[in-house]
Amino acid sequence: MTSLRMSRRRLSLTVIAVFAIMVVFVIRLVDIQLVQASELTKLADAHRMQTVTTYGTRGDIVDSNGVVLADSVDRFDITASPRNVSAEGFDRRNKDGSTTKISLSDAIGEIADLTGADPQALKTALTQDPASDFVYLVKAVKLAVFDKVKALRIPWVYSEPHPARSYPDGAVAGNLVGFIGTDGPLAGTELKQDSCLAGTNGSSRYETSADGVRLPGSTVVTKAATDGGTITLTIDANLQWFAQQALAQQAQATGSDWGTAMVVRVGDGHIMADADYPSIDPNDLNSVPSDSTGARSFSSPYEPGSIMKPATVAGLVDKGLVTATTPVDVPGRFTDGLPKGSYIKDSFPHGDMHMTVAGVIMNSSNIGIAELTKLESEKDRYANLRAFGFGSPTTVGFLGEGHGALANPDAVDSITTVTQQFGQGMSATSAQVASMYQALGNDGKKVPLTLIQSCTAAGGTVSYPNSGPTTQVVSPSTARQVREMMEMVTTQGYLRNVISIPGYRTASKTGTAQVADASGSYGNDYIVSVAGLIPADKPQYAVIVTLAKPDTIKTSAAAAPAYTTIMKQVIKTFRIQPSTTPAPSIPVAW
Amino acid sequence: MTALAATTARPLRQPVEAPRRHLEVAPSRAQRRARPRLLPALVTIGGIGVILLVQLLLSIVLADGAYQISGLQSAKHDAVLQQHALSEQLDLLASPQHLAANAEALGMVASGSALYLDAKTGAVTGTGTAAGGSLLGAGDQVGNVLLGGTALVTVKASGTGMTTSTTDSTGGTQAPTDTGTGGTGQAPQTPGLLPSPTTH
Repeated sequence: MTSLRMSRRRLSLTVIAVFAIMVVFVIRLVDIQLVQASELTKLADAHRMQTVTTYGTRGDIVDSNGVVLADSVDRFDITASPRNVSAEGFDRRNKDGSTTKISLSDAIGEIADLTGADPQALKTALTQDPASDFVYLVKAVKLAVFDKVKALRIPWVYSEPHPARSYPDGAVAGNLVGFIGTDGPLAGTELKQDSCLAGTNGSSRYETSADGVRLPGSTVVTKAATDGGTITLTIDANLQWFAQQALAQQAQATGSDWGTAMVVRVGDGHIMADADYPSIDPNDLNSVPSDSTGARSFSSPYEPGSIMKPATVAGLVDKGLVTATTPVDVPGRFTDGLPKGSYIKDSFPHGDMHMTVAGVIMNSSNIGIAELTKLESEKDRYANLRAFGFGSPTTVGFLGEGHGALANPDAVDSITTVTQQFGQGMSATSAQVASMYQALGNDGKKVPLTLIQSCTAAGGTVSYPNSGPTTQVVSPSTARQVREMMEMVTTQGYLRNVISIPGYRTASKTGTAQVADASGSYGNDYIVSVAGLIPADKPQYAVIVTLAKPDTIKTSAAAAPAYTTIMKQVIKTFRIQPSTTPAPSIPVAW
Repeated sequence: MTALAATTARPLRQPVEAPRRHLEVAPSRAQRRARPRLLPALVTIGGIGVILLVQLLLSIVLADGAYQISGLQSAKHDAVLQQHALSEQLDLLASPQHLAANAEALGMVASGSALYLDAKTGAVTGTGTAAGGSLLGAGDQVGNVLLGGTALVTVKASGTGMTTSTTDSTGGTQAPTDTGTGGTGQAPQTPGLLPSPTTH
C-alpha cells in the first residue's frame, strides 16, 4: 500500500514539476515572442540586415522634339571608414594570386590621381577621427572614375550613389529650364514643375553574412521608389540655340545690357524659342550675374514703346472707327487735353503732316496715335489693351513672372491715358507683347501662351497643363487690316533694308522706348525692339527681339539685324514657303 | 478442531511443483501482420536518406543559382549605369554648341534661303540667297561648361581620314591625333575638302 502511495506522490510531483517548467517556458516564450519581440527583432536586424535608400529618378526636361535639356545622371560619392585604415597600408591581391604591399600614402595618392582631389585633404579626412566609421573622400564622381577607384581594391574605401542633375545643352534654354541647388530645385521649370519632375525615394533591405557579404536573394523592397515624370517644353532646342546666339551677338555688338528674343507659333500660342541675354548655363551657376539667372522675357516688364501701336489701332479698326486709309492730321506737337505745358512729340521733328492710319503705323507717329485716341473713350482704350493681355501675367505662369503695369484711366493723369496707347507710361513683358502679336497673327484669336507642353508620368500617362481660355480680341478682318498696315513698315519703314526678307511677306513693327531712370524721368537710355509676323498673309510665327540700353545705336535699328536673322532661321527651321502674292500697297499720306 | 488446530495441524511439506511446460501465445493473424518487416523499413530509411541527399544537392544548386542570379543582377545594374553614362555623353555631343563647333571646324557654313520646287508645275518659288556664312562668328555665345575638353572632328589636310583634336576650355586647339578611322579612298586634291562619295 505504502509503495503505491509513494509512487502516486512521485508521479504528481513530477507532473507538477513538469508543469511548472512548462509554465516557466511559456512565460519566457511569451516574453521573447510577444513582449520583447520588436526589440529583439530590431537587434537581430541590426546585426544582419542592411537598409539602403533606392532613389527615384528625377524626370527629364525635354524640348518639343525630345532633345534632353535636363537629365538625371549617376554620380558616386567615394567614402571611407577611417576605423579600418591601417597606417601600414594593405596587401593588394593581384590577378596572379601574388600580393603587393600598398602603403597608406600610396593608396591616397592613387585616389587623388584618379579623382583630382587634394591628397592632403584626403589624408586629413582619413586620419582626423580614427574611430569614425564613415567619411566622405570625394563627392559626385562620374562612373568612369568611380569604376577606376573601385578597381584599386582598397579595403577601407566604400561608395554610395549620388544622383545628380546635368544639362547637356548648357545655356540652351538655361533661362527656361532653371537649375537645382544642393537642397532642391531653385529656379525656372525645375522649380515650377517640381511636382511632375520629382521622384520619391524608396528603401530596401538585404541580409549580410558575419563578414558583411550581401546574401543573394535576401533583398526585400520595403518601399518602392517611384520615378518622376518628364516635362516636355514647347521650344525647339536648335532654334533656341540659334536665337540665343544671334541675340547675344547683336547685344554685344550694340553694347546692350540685356536682351530677349521670342518666337511664338501663332496657331496654338506655343513658345518655340525664348532667348535671353545674358543666359545662364545651369551647369555653372556663376556663369552670369545673379540678376540674369531667369527669363527676363517673363520677369522684366519694360516700357515697350511703339510696338504697342498695332494694338491701339486694332481696337479702333475693330470698332469701325477707322480704316487703314482714314486720314489723320498730325501736327508737330500734340497738346489736346493735356495739362498746360505738357506735349507729346514724335521721334523726328516735323510740321503739320497728313498721314493715313497706315502712315501713322509706318512712321510710328506718337502724335498720330494721340490724335486717334480722341475717337475712343478712355475706358474703351483701356479695355482694348486689357483684352490684348496687358496688365495681367500670361498664362505661362513662369516663375517670377511680372504682370506689367497698365493704368486704369480712373486712377491716372490725362497724359498717361494717352501715352500708354503707344507704349509709354505703361509696362509689359516681352511675353505679353509676343502674346499680342500672336493674337494679331491668329486672326484676332488670342490663344494662351504655352511653354509647358505636357507632363508624362513615369507610368506613361500624359497630362497637359490647363492654360486658360482662348479669346477673340478683334475680328479676323481687323487683324488682317492691321497686319497689312504693319507690312508697310517692312516695305517702306526706315528699317526696310534690314528687316525685309526676299520672297517673303512679313508684318513688322519697331519700338524705341525711353527708359525712365530711378528718379522717374526719361534719360538717354532706350529699350529697343522689333516685333513681327511671318508670313504676313497667313501668319505662322511671331518674332519679337528686344535689346535694353544699347550703347552704339539708340534706336530699334539696334535690334533689327537679330530680328531678321532669327526670322530667316524660323523660315528654315519650319520650312515656311515663300509668299505667292505681293505685299499690299496702302497710301500712307493724303 | 479449533480453527487454530486446523491451521497448525497442516502437514509441513513442500508442495510438489509439477515441471512447467514452455508456453507461447500463438500470434493471431492480425498480430502476425503487424509485426515489423525488414524490407519496408530499409526502403523507408533509404528513402529518407535519398530525400535528404537530394534536398542537399538541390539547395546547393539553388544557392549556386542564387549567386548566379545575384551576379547577373549586379552585371545588369552595371550595364544600366554604363548605358546612362553613355547616353549622358551622347546628349552632350548632340548639343547644338558642339554640333555647330564641329560643323564650322569642318568648314561648313549656314545655308542661304531655300527655294521650293512645285512638283506639279515645275515652278520654282522663293528667292535664293548666298550662303549665310559662319554662325559662330565671334565665337559661341551660348555657354556649355560640360563641353570643355571635348574633342572636335577636323579634316586632316593630307587625306580622307577624320581626326579629332581636343579643344581646351579657352578654345585653343591642341595637336590633332589620328583616330585611325580614315578610309582607303583617294586623297582629295584640295586640302580641307570634305570626303564624299562619287555619285552619278
